[in-house]
Amino acid sequence: MTVLFAFAAALLFATGTWMLLQRRLSRILIGVGLVGHGSNLLLLTSGGPGGSAPIIGTGDPADFSDPLPQALALTSIVITFGVTAFLLALGYRSWRMTRDDMVENDVEDRLIARQRDRDELVEETRLAEREQRDDEGLE
Amino acid sequence: MIWALLAAHVVVAAAVPAFAQRAGGRASLWLAGAPMAATAIWAWTQLGTTTTTSVGVEWVTGLDLEFAFRVDAMGAMLAVLVSGIGALVCVYASGYFSASAVGVGRFAATLLAFSTAMLGLVWAETVWTLFVFWELTSVTSFLLVGFKNTDPVARTAARRALVITASGGLVLLAGFVLFVDAAGSARITDLTALSGGQATAAGVLVIIAAATKSAQVPFHVWLPGAMAAPTPVSAYLHSATMVKAGVILIALLAPALRDTDAWKPLGLTFGIITIVWGAIGALRHVDAKLILAWGTVSQLGLLVTLLAVGTGKATFAAISILVAHAVFKAALFMVVGDIDVRTGTRDINQLHGLARSMPIAFVVSVLAGASMAGVPPMVGFPAKEAAVEAVLGLSGFDQFIVGLGVLGGSVLTVAYTVRLLLGVFSPAGTGHEPTEVAPRRWAMSGPEIVLGAASLLGFVFLTWMTDVVVRPASVLVQQSSEVYSLIRWPGLKDAFVISCIIIALGVVLGWLLHRRRVLDGPIPRGAYGVDLGIDSIVVLARRVAATVQHGSLPAYLATTVLVLLAAITPFYAEVDFDVLYRWDNATQAALVVLVVAASIAATIIRTRLAAAMVLGAVGFGVAGLFFGQGAPDLVLTQLLVETVIVVGFVVGLGALRRRFPAVSRPWLAWRIIASLCVGLVVAVALAASASDRTGTPPIEELTEGAVNEGGGNNVVNVILTDIRALDTLGEVVVLIVVALGIVALAKIRRDEEASGLDAHPIDESDDERLLTEDVTT
Repeated sequence: MTVLFAFAAALLFATGTWMLLQRRLSRILIGVGLVGHGSNLLLLTSGGPGGSAPIIGTGDPADFSDPLPQALALTSIVITFGVTAFLLALGYRSWRMTRDDMVENDVEDRLIARQRDRDELVEETRLAEREQRDDEGLE
Repeated sequence: MIWALLAAHVVVAAAVPAFAQRAGGRASLWLAGAPMAATAIWAWTQLGTTTTTSVGVEWVTGLDLEFAFRVDAMGAMLAVLVSGIGALVCVYASGYFSASAVGVGRFAATLLAFSTAMLGLVWAETVWTLFVFWELTSVTSFLLVGFKNTDPVARTAARRALVITASGGLVLLAGFVLFVDAAGSARITDLTALSGGQATAAGVLVIIAAATKSAQVPFHVWLPGAMAAPTPVSAYLHSATMVKAGVILIALLAPALRDTDAWKPLGLTFGIITIVWGAIGALRHVDAKLILAWGTVSQLGLLVTLLAVGTGKATFAAISILVAHAVFKAALFMVVGDIDVRTGTRDINQLHGLARSMPIAFVVSVLAGASMAGVPPMVGFPAKEAAVEAVLGLSGFDQFIVGLGVLGGSVLTVAYTVRLLLGVFSPAGTGHEPTEVAPRRWAMSGPEIVLGAASLLGFVFLTWMTDVVVRPASVLVQQSSEVYSLIRWPGLKDAFVISCIIIALGVVLGWLLHRRRVLDGPIPRGAYGVDLGIDSIVVLARRVAATVQHGSLPAYLATTVLVLLAAITPFYAEVDFDVLYRWDNATQAALVVLVVAASIAATIIRTRLAAAMVLGAVGFGVAGLFFGQGAPDLVLTQLLVETVIVVGFVVGLGALRRRFPAVSRPWLAWRIIASLCVGLVVAVALAASASDRTGTPPIEELTEGAVNEGGGNNVVNVILTDIRALDTLGEVVVLIVVALGIVALAKIRRDEEASGLDAHPIDESDDERLLTEDVTT
């Protein structure tokens, strides 16, 4: 395996991750594209050394490159395309409706996090009520 | 026939709710009872059979997973109890619920579903089938116990029962895995005795699972709480079915696991403690239903003890008592429910003189109670006698400890029976009026009479009971029990003398405790403790979820990176630097330089158009690398996709602001480190996988397959359209969904749109606010 390929794939992942870690959808979009390229390269490189195109009639099958990783990478390209297109539409909508493309924290998850505090509050209230009832019972 | 009956159960259970809507709840109970009655009648004809009828379908080929049922003498006997008492309970319930009661259709359907699960359990041929139905009984009984779903007490009780029995289910699963591995087969019939460490562990797990289901101390706490259910449920679950499942499990697996080291000591420990603690509980409570519930706990302890002892006589006694208990306990629960409905209370302190006003209930109670206490002429007497004989047949420490449990438990059983009967039916003393009683409901009295009479008839036809019901089933558990019989009149032998002493002591104790009135039952501290435990698990789960699922997307990504880093560590050593070389040719090097430069530029550039172009440049560079590797299809697709995306950026985001916002500043260093770590992980993974290639790619097979089967020359195309055609179909579906999503997202109503281009000017401090918020919460 060439060091070049490993380096290129690694760098694409690194820069892509860096962009994914941003708060703006437009940057995240670029990040998805970079990581997508990186993973295609990763898939193809993991298939071993290259060769001639695996098309029968164009050369000796013994020299063919492995067609399986190519098929997988092809799928990956198309799916990455789908995701990118969808994110583009999302960014477009976000811009049209809010003039902003900030990716907020997941609201549902934040609610779950706050639930914890609410539980404690409910428990305290219940205890207080019970004490009050007991007091009234004594009187 | 087995399939037909099980199918009838399922079909009718599904149809009952709709039927209840049209015909009313009570009629739906009769409908639900029909398949149970049919099963009971068929199983009756199979009683005492010496053959085993098996049916089954293979579930997963190659895994020895079979969905199989068998009906032998044991299966027939248990099915008569499960389905027969089930049908009677349906009739009884149609009297128990008033015409205006809501949810009776749901009740009928759930009851039938439970009965189906129980039938599957007693007929299961393989342990896996048994496990499935074991879990189904847990779930359906949860629904039955929590039937009054607006009552918090019932809900808590149902949850408690579910958590305890379902935990037992997990233990059982582990036990079955070990058992099947040790036995080499998942079948329950024709077992051979196992020994060794693994079988011992399987035995321990099976006994613990049985203890959770059959309410052995300390797992018994769910059973008294389950009395929050309507009484028909209690009459069904706690006589013949749910709680017997554990006992049945022990009986079924005893031939294989009886000789393992821990089986007997563990079973005896559970059983004997449960006999005594259950009986003491029955003596402390004042609610007639709770007295019966605790009595059930005690009787279950007795069954587990006798099965764990492992002698032929004890096994024979256990099977006898199992049958007798199912009949008399169902009758007693029904009577208590009858009293509850007609007087409005079950408190023995408030019930007076019911012997005169409820004669049928009184007679049935005396018959069933006598059977429970082991008094002739009821079927409980020879069964109890067999247990005493079994104790006399032991020696040494076994005899002492089992004798203590069985004989002591018997005295207490007589005592709580006497206390219950006196408490409910004794004439009103001075200062008490006889309790007012509502009119009789025959739908309730009928099943009571049948079950009360059954306890008596079992004694009358004792030879039939022995030869057709008990012995054939008991022989399946233990061959050596074939020589024993239920004896109607033993004569003045040791066992009979002991029985007389037990009854005398019990009557005196019961009478004394009846005189010394207790006003209120004890607080169920154990059950509350379990509830507290369950609550704290829920709170803990919330805390964990709140901590782990905090909602910050960058933090989620960082977690992913950390996991990746940890996962890759073992692979550093795998990298073999000899397989790595610099490059194939100079073109490749030039393309990589292009890709690297463009991708770095993409992170820096702040102009939208330039960013799109740079991303496109990365794509074209990668396409060039594909070409060098011999992948023309990839090149074509990549070029097409890349062009569309660049156009999309320019056109689609034409309305967006021209410049990208700056990189957000907080945690900058950490995010750079995280990104570099991901790159490192990818590089190491690639190098490690290249260093450790085993085998060669199936290029030849794929090439031949492409021509001969796919009929194409381009191998990659044939893989996509033929060999992995279904995957490609899925891919197409994804693209269609994406297209639909894009259309939906792009449609914006005019009033939804933000007015003015700078309605929300970019505020860089937003980023900081959001990120610092993550840190503080």
